Amino acid sequence: MEWLIAEACGSFPYLLRLILEGLLIGVIYSLMALGLTLIFSVLNIVSFSHGEFYMIGGYVVYTVLHHFKQVPGLVAVFLAAVVTFLIGAVFERLFLQPMAKGQVDRPNEYAILVTFGLAFVLQFVMLGLMGPFPKKVPRFFSFPEIDLGFLRTTRTTLFLGKIPLPGSRIFAAIIALIALGAMLYFMYRTWTGWALQAVSQDRNAAAVVGINPLNMNTLAFALGGMLAGLAGAVLVSVFSWVPWVGVPASAKSFVIIVLGGMGSIPGSLVGGLILGVVESLGTGCWPNPATAQAYRDVFGLVIFALVLLVKPTGLFGRKL
Amino acid sequence: MSRNGVLELEIRNVVKNFGGLQALKGVSLTIRGSQLVGLIGPNGAGKTTLTNIITGLLKPTSGEVWFNGERIDTLRPYHIARRGIGRTFQVTRAFRRMTVLENMLTPGIVKHPYMSRAELEKKAMEIMKFLTIDHLRFERAGSLSGGQQKLLELARLLMLDPDLIILDEPFAGVHPKLQRTIYNYIKRVREQGKAIILISHDMESIFTLSERLVVLNFGEIIADGPPEEVKNDPAVIEAYLGRDEEEEEDLRQAY
Amino acid sequence: MTFRRIYILWGLTAIFLLGLLLYPILPGVNLQPYWVLVGMTALFYAILASSWALLAGYTGQFSFAHMAFMGLGTYTAGILIRDTGIAPWMGTVAGVLMTGIVGLLIGYLCLRLRSTYLALFTIAFAEIFRLVVKAEVKITGGPNGLELPPYQRPEALERLLKAIFPYWDANPYVPAYYYMALLFFLSLLFMFFLVRSRFGLFFRAVREDEEAAAALGVHVVNTRVLAFVVSSMIAGFAGIVFHHFIGLIVPDQMQIVRMSLVIAMAVIGGSQNLIGAAIGAIFIHFALELLQEIRMPLAVLENLLFLENWGFSVDLQAGVLRTNAWRMVAFGILLMVTLRFAQNGLISPILDWLARKEAAEEVAKRFRAQREMDRVDDVEAVEETTTASTVTEGD
Repeated sequence: MEWLIAEACGSFPYLLRLILEGLLIGVIYSLMALGLTLIFSVLNIVSFSHGEFYMIGGYVVYTVLHHFKQVPGLVAVFLAAVVTFLIGAVFERLFLQPMAKGQVDRPNEYAILVTFGLAFVLQFVMLGLMGPFPKKVPRFFSFPEIDLGFLRTTRTTLFLGKIPLPGSRIFAAIIALIALGAMLYFMYRTWTGWALQAVSQDRNAAAVVGINPLNMNTLAFALGGMLAGLAGAVLVSVFSWVPWVGVPASAKSFVIIVLGGMGSIPGSLVGGLILGVVESLGTGCWPNPATAQAYRDVFGLVIFALVLLVKPTGLFGRKL
Repeated sequence: MSRNGVLELEIRNVVKNFGGLQALKGVSLTIRGSQLVGLIGPNGAGKTTLTNIITGLLKPTSGEVWFNGERIDTLRPYHIARRGIGRTFQVTRAFRRMTVLENMLTPGIVKHPYMSRAELEKKAMEIMKFLTIDHLRFERAGSLSGGQQKLLELARLLMLDPDLIILDEPFAGVHPKLQRTIYNYIKRVREQGKAIILISHDMESIFTLSERLVVLNFGEIIADGPPEEVKNDPAVIEAYLGRDEEEEEDLRQAY
Repeated sequence: MTFRRIYILWGLTAIFLLGLLLYPILPGVNLQPYWVLVGMTALFYAILASSWALLAGYTGQFSFAHMAFMGLGTYTAGILIRDTGIAPWMGTVAGVLMTGIVGLLIGYLCLRLRSTYLALFTIAFAEIFRLVVKAEVKITGGPNGLELPPYQRPEALERLLKAIFPYWDANPYVPAYYYMALLFFLSLLFMFFLVRSRFGLFFRAVREDEEAAAALGVHVVNTRVLAFVVSSMIAGFAGIVFHHFIGLIVPDQMQIVRMSLVIAMAVIGGSQNLIGAAIGAIFIHFALELLQEIRMPLAVLENLLFLENWGFSVDLQAGVLRTNAWRMVAFGILLMVTLRFAQNGLISPILDWLARKEAAEEVAKRFRAQREMDRVDDVEAVEETTTASTVTEGD
C-alpha cells in the first residue's frame, strides 16, 4: 500500500497543512457553489455557464489592476462583482425570462443548452479580448508583519506554528468568507432574501403575496453569477488565468452541489469545504508529484460518481 | 396470471410517509379474480398515492404489494407494467409530439416484441376504431382535444394488454358523449376478463359500474364491500358523503 | 398535382450526394490538400454532430462528453497499437468497445436520474479525462499527442478505387476523405434505421413522458443507456478513423470548446433531425474556414489596424483580416439565438417542410390500401373510412 501514497503524508504537520489549505480553498468553492445553489433553488435550472462568470471575474480584476496600477485590489474585486452581476442580469432577462414566462418549448432542455451557449460565447469573447496566453495578477495584498510566537506572518506568508500558509490564499479566503457572510445575511435577514426564498419554495404562493417571481429570477441569476465572479476575482492572484479556466471550476461547483444536495444552501457550504479538503489531501498524498496537480480534479469526479451511486440526493438534498 | 389462472393483487399493510405527512396508514387490500373495484374517498385520502405504489412510481415506506404470487413493490414501474398492471393518469399524459398511431405502437411493441409492424398496426386500428379515434391516427397527440387524449390513453393501455387496469379519474372533465364511450370501454375490458380498479369522483358512475367498493379516508380503508352495503355504512356517510350536509347544517345553524 | 415539394428534396439529396462524391475535384478545392482535409474534417464533425443529435434530439439527454468519448476511443486504440503491436483495425475495434463499456458505466450511473445529472457528470468527466490524458505523459504522450499508424488498406480495393477515382493518389488526404465519407454515410444510415426501429419509438416516448412510458412497460433506463452508448460509440469510431488518417491525436482535441462547437452545429442544424444536424455541421465547418481570413482591399485594411487590439489580426502583406476567436463568438451567438427563436434549428425545418406532406400522404395511401382490404370483412367501416381519409387529406 505504501506506493499508493507519498511518504510525506505520514507526518502530522504535513497533513494538517494540507487540511488547512483545503479549507482555505474550500471556502472559495463554497462561495461559488452557493451561487449555483441560489440559481438552482430559485430558477430550478443548473447554470452551465457558472465557470465563465468565475473566469470573467478574474479577468476584470486583471484588467483593472493591469491598466490602473494604483487602484486597490478590493476595488477591483468589487468591480468584478458588478460586471458579473450585470452580465447575469442581462442574460437572464434576454434568454431565461422567456422560459419562466412559458414562451419556450421543452424548458429543461433549453435551459441546459442556452446556459452552455452563453459559456461558449463568453469563452471566445474573452479569448478575443485577452488572447490565449496565461495572465497572472501580482499579489495585491501584503500582510503586516506580526509575530505572536505561535502565529507569525511575513509579507507573503502566514505561519501557524511551523505550518506555512500562502498569504494570497488567506486573503482570498477572507474575502470569500466576508462575501459568504454578507450573502447569508442577505438571504436570511433581509426582505429581498426572504422573497427569494419564498419564490424558491413556492412560486405561485410568492406571486400571490406580491413578490414578482420574474424579478426574483433575474436577481437570483445575477447574484449567482456575481458569487462565481467574486470567487474568480479573489483566486486570480493565486492561479494563472486563461479563457478556459472556468471549465474545471464549473465542474467543481457541479460536484459540490450534487454532493451537498441540489438546492441546499448548507449543502453547498459543507460540500465546498469537503471538496477542498479531499482535493488537497489527495493531491498532497499523490505518489507522483509530477502528475499530482492533474489528478486534483479527479478526486472531485470520484466523489461525484460515489454520490450518484450511493445517495443521488446528496447530503442535504431535497427530492429532485 | 398466477398458477391457478386467477389474477391476484394483494396489498399488505402499506404505509407511505411524505416527510411528516402520513398519506397511507397501513392499507391492506386483496383483489382476486376479475372484478371491478371502485376506489373512492375525499381529496387527499391517498387514492393516487396508492395507485402510484401499486404501479411502482412510489416506493412504500413499509408494507408489501404482491401480484400473482410475486412481490412487486420492489420492482421498477416498467417491470410492473410488463407483468400486467396498466394504468391511466389523472392528468392525461399522451406522448405529445408523437402521432396517435406511434403512441399506440409503443406499448404494443413492448407487449409483442416479435409481432410484425403491420399486425400491430392492425391491432391498434381495431382498438382505435372502437374508441372512435382511428381517424386521428396521423395527428400529433399534442394537437388532440383533451377528451381525445383521454381516449388515446385508454386505447394505448389496451395495446399493453394488462390483466389489471387502474383508471384514475377517467370521467373527470369529459363531456357526456365521451363518457358513453368510456362506459363501453370499461364494459368491453370487463368482458375480456380483466380486473379494473376505478378511481372516480363521479358517484353515479362508480355506483353503477363497481362490483365492489373500497372507501379510503385519511390513508385508511374505512369500508370495503358491495356498493349497496357501503352506501349505507355509517362510517362512510360520515367521512365522505355526509360531510357536506354536516357543513351545511352547521352553516344553517350559524345563520 | 403539378409541383411536388418532394422533388426538390430528392433534387437536393442528389446534389448533396454528388457533391460529397466529387468534392475533391470541385473547382476551388481542386485536390488541394488543405481543402480536402477541410472537407474530411467537416465530415468528421458531421458524424459527431448527428450522433450527438441522436442522443439529444431523440432522448432529450445531453452529453458533454462526446468529444471525450471520441478521444477515449482514439487513445485506447493508439495505446494498444503502440504497446501490443496489434493491427490498426483491431485497435479500432478495441477502441470502439472501450467507449461502449465506459458509456455503459456512465450511462447506468447517471441515466437513472434526471437529465441534468448526465449533463453535469459528463462535463466534469470530459474535462477531467482531458487533464489526466495531458498529465500522463508516459502513457499518452501528454500535450504533444499520440501517434497513430495508418491503416493497411487491402490492395485489391485500392486498385479498384483508383480505377473509379483517377485522382486517388493525388495526395494522401483524398483516400482519407473518401473513407471518411463512407463512414459518414454508413453511420447516418445506421442511426436512421435505429430511429426508425422500435427503439426510435422508445427513445421518443421516454423523452416525451418518462413516467407514462414506464407505465406502459418501456424500460426507461435501458432505453436511455442504449441511446447514450450507441451515440458514444459512433463518436469513438469516427474519432479513431479520423485520427488514424491524420496520424496524431492531441488532448486538446477533447477540449470542451470543441464540444461546444459540435453542439452548436447540431442545434443550429436541428438536433431533432439527424440529417439536419449533419448538414449544419458541414455548413458551419466550412463557414468557420471561410471566415478565418477575410480578404479586403488594403485601403480598408489599413483603417482596421485598431482591431489588432481587440483580438483580430490584420495581415497587410496577405491583404486579409484574421477573425481568430470572433468567428466563434458569432456562432455562439447564433447558437443562443437559434435556441431562443427556432428550437428545431435552422435546417431541419426546411427538410421537414419539404418532406412532410408527402410522407404523410404516403402513409395515408398505405392505410387506405389496407382499409380497402379490411372492407371485405368490415362493411360497417366504409362510411367511417371515407370520412377518415378526407380528414387525412385535408391536413
